[in-house]
Amino acid sequence: MADRLRPVRRGIYLYFRLLGQQMKSILAYQADFVVLLFSAVVVQLAGFLFIWTIFQRIPSINGWTFWQVVTMYALIFITEGVGSLFFEGTWMLGWLVWSGQFDQMLVRPVSPIIQVIAYRVGFNGLGNIVTGFTLIGLGIANSSVQWSAGRVLMLVVLVASAATIRVALNLGTAASGFWIRNPWSMVPMFVHQLGELAKYPITIYSLGVQALIVVAIPFAFVSFFPTAFIFGLDAWSLPALLTPFVAVYCLFVAVSIFRRGMRNYESSGH
Amino acid sequence: MPLIEAKGLTKQFRQAVKEPGLVGSLKHFVTRKYTDKLAVDHIDLSIEAGESVAYLGPNGAGKSTTIKMLTGILVPTSGSLIVDGLVPHEKRVQNAKNIGVVFGQRTTLWWDIPVIESFNLARDMYEIPVKRYKANLAEFTELLGLGEFMNVPAGKVSLGQRMRADLCMALLHDPKMLYLDEPTIGLDIAVKDSIRKFIRRQADERGTTVMLTTHDLGDIEDICNRIVIIDKGKIIHDGGLAALKDNYARDRVIHFQLARPPESIETIRAGLPTSELTTDGLRLSVRFDRFEHQAGEIAAVVMRHVEVIDFRIDEPEVEDLIRKVYLGQLSLTSAGEAALAPAGA
Amino acid sequence: MRGVTKYVSFSKASLQIMLVYKSSLAVNMIGTVFYVIAMFYLWQTIFVNQPGAMGGFTWPEMKGYILVSFLLNSVMTWYDEWTMGRDIREGLVAVDLARPIDFQAKRFADAIGPIPIELFSALVVAAVVAVAFGGVALPADGTHAILFILSAVLATITKFGLVYCVSMVAFWTTGMTGISVARMAIQNIFSGALIPLVFFPGWLRSIAAVLPFQGLVSTPALTYLGKMDWPTTVLMLTVQAAWAAGLILLGRLAWRGASRAVTINGG
Repeated sequence: MADRLRPVRRGIYLYFRLLGQQMKSILAYQADFVVLLFSAVVVQLAGFLFIWTIFQRIPSINGWTFWQVVTMYALIFITEGVGSLFFEGTWMLGWLVWSGQFDQMLVRPVSPIIQVIAYRVGFNGLGNIVTGFTLIGLGIANSSVQWSAGRVLMLVVLVASAATIRVALNLGTAASGFWIRNPWSMVPMFVHQLGELAKYPITIYSLGVQALIVVAIPFAFVSFFPTAFIFGLDAWSLPALLTPFVAVYCLFVAVSIFRRGMRNYESSGH
Repeated sequence: MPLIEAKGLTKQFRQAVKEPGLVGSLKHFVTRKYTDKLAVDHIDLSIEAGESVAYLGPNGAGKSTTIKMLTGILVPTSGSLIVDGLVPHEKRVQNAKNIGVVFGQRTTLWWDIPVIESFNLARDMYEIPVKRYKANLAEFTELLGLGEFMNVPAGKVSLGQRMRADLCMALLHDPKMLYLDEPTIGLDIAVKDSIRKFIRRQADERGTTVMLTTHDLGDIEDICNRIVIIDKGKIIHDGGLAALKDNYARDRVIHFQLARPPESIETIRAGLPTSELTTDGLRLSVRFDRFEHQAGEIAAVVMRHVEVIDFRIDEPEVEDLIRKVYLGQLSLTSAGEAALAPAGA
Repeated sequence: MRGVTKYVSFSKASLQIMLVYKSSLAVNMIGTVFYVIAMFYLWQTIFVNQPGAMGGFTWPEMKGYILVSFLLNSVMTWYDEWTMGRDIREGLVAVDLARPIDFQAKRFADAIGPIPIELFSALVVAAVVAVAFGGVALPADGTHAILFILSAVLATITKFGLVYCVSMVAFWTTGMTGISVARMAIQNIFSGALIPLVFFPGWLRSIAAVLPFQGLVSTPALTYLGKMDWPTTVLMLTVQAAWAAGLILLGRLAWRGASRAVTINGG
């Protein structure tokens, strides 16, 4: 049993090794690092300011309160931050394939997925994560729900699942680079930006849009449903419980697409 | 039991036939047309452990495609390929542990971090035992002169330094096979020389099997004992360098410098019926097959008819030979006579 | 004005380069498009529950504001602080110093080259959104329409002046992406792109009033909607023009200082 887990352990170890190296080289540019962090925080604060300004004049949006919307924002920030900090390399996949640099990765005795995601580190993600967690903390503080141990555990699972969905969407769309031989393809960015919609309660959208972000590209499970859970809104809590499954499903699909892409790359040449 | 054994190895690519521009793209979307390109055509290749093989061919001949299949990056269309008992593309990770690769145009080092950190990462990736890693690193650092830029990021070192670091990177884990793709391209003579010596030494000392693709014939002469030439997907020569020269580079040219222009070329020609004479003022050149005549013979005949001040002999140039193959002027049929295509064909 | 022709050719070249990297433009647009869509749905929900006006805006007016804001933000996105960073890094600054051209004018010519494409793409998107949601306010009247165009031009110049000034930081630092993002975030808040400035609490409004950013979105958008009385309109347009000129001037001064440093230290 331990032997079968070994490649997994090695993979994780090497991932952190590679990531660590990237971080070291970035930290060498200290000024840049600080500015990146600062800019990420400013962007998120702008969003917070926006909601705050609106809620000065209206009590709720479609029945959703200020702190609930803040929590949705926070979840988008946190998950985006995790993506930037730990999986930034995914954005480079299109370029890596197009330039032939991906060959390098195939020649090494390490999983190419790990090498790709560790290829870059986006420190702005740190700013996003910190701001996000601050906001979600505030949101939780303003939730009238009773926090039992089970509930807290579920919260952790939900945040982890939300991040997983985000990362999986990123990986799956980036893998389009195996077929679309354009180094800066629109596909990953297109899907990523859909997250903008998930900053607000999905009830404001038309049915079509709702179907899009619940079923097709499940951003609703990143922010909306977990928020419902945090605020104890039973009507929406059932879908919230589906979130971990959605996460696993998305991850599975993303890795499958990546594997298929790799197979295509290996047979069709470049 | 050969280390690398390929039988009937084939790679066929499907290329979409698309007219340029937007109209072409739309048309292609509707009716897809493909051409099949046979990059590697049922080649048989057998390499024993410890050999150093030069893999040559004009651009587009199928060299990189073959190497990609050997390294497990590309899946063959048909045929069998076994490298050290493994099928490369099926057991990619295991195969990767056995091989070291140096791409002349791209580096295997991480761009933004110091060279030594790339080496440390290699140690972790290939699970090199610490003692072995330290020993190898020390040896390569000394032989390749890496000490002076060990702490510089790969993106900031010169091309020559980068190549040396890439070589070190490729050999740290004691691979059984070393693949080199244009390793000395763009380097100055001194660096080329030291790199060739280094590779030769590693091959001799560790028994590493080397496979080298290059356009630089100096690489071949210094490193390899066997040449495989591929053209249009097929292997057209597979044998030793000496045999290649003996079989196909049989021409020699003696250039004579004369005291006076020769009175009659015809008389000289009469004495050397199977040779080719050209004359230009005070110069006379004789091209002859060295298996038919010896240089001394030729010189003797010439000097009987004219006064010779000086002369020099051109050795058979593998470079010329290969160039002729690339230009299609020479088709190497299997270990037989080289057939010369008429000039201008 | 023979001098102008060379700058026109810079603009043309810049446009051609942008067309090569079409997908880059598309990527820039995608983000803002989804943002606009989210805004439309959000405000629609707000206005549905609140009949009448909010902050003095009716729903059609708010739609108009959002779309005008989108159009103004879509223009001159190709030019940002990163350009200067790259120019310095690749020694293009030294090259340009040796040429008989005005550095700032050249950058301006480069920046406005892609505008026709940016504008066209943005108009298409805006049109689609407008048709989908319907009922978007049009310019208050002919005069306001003309003044709007004037204000939009001033806004573009202001944007250029702003980015140019900020990009001077490139002489002292390496990566410019963070700076660009920070500038855009601050700009979004204080230009009124995020939300009309009238919604801000008093103290924030006061800050916005003394900053150049309001000239980027708020002034032109309000002119379009005819939301300001004549004295205010004239005042705001004057302020906008003053900032535009001021930033250009500041850029020239900063450049003189920086280029002196370059020629002394060798880039």
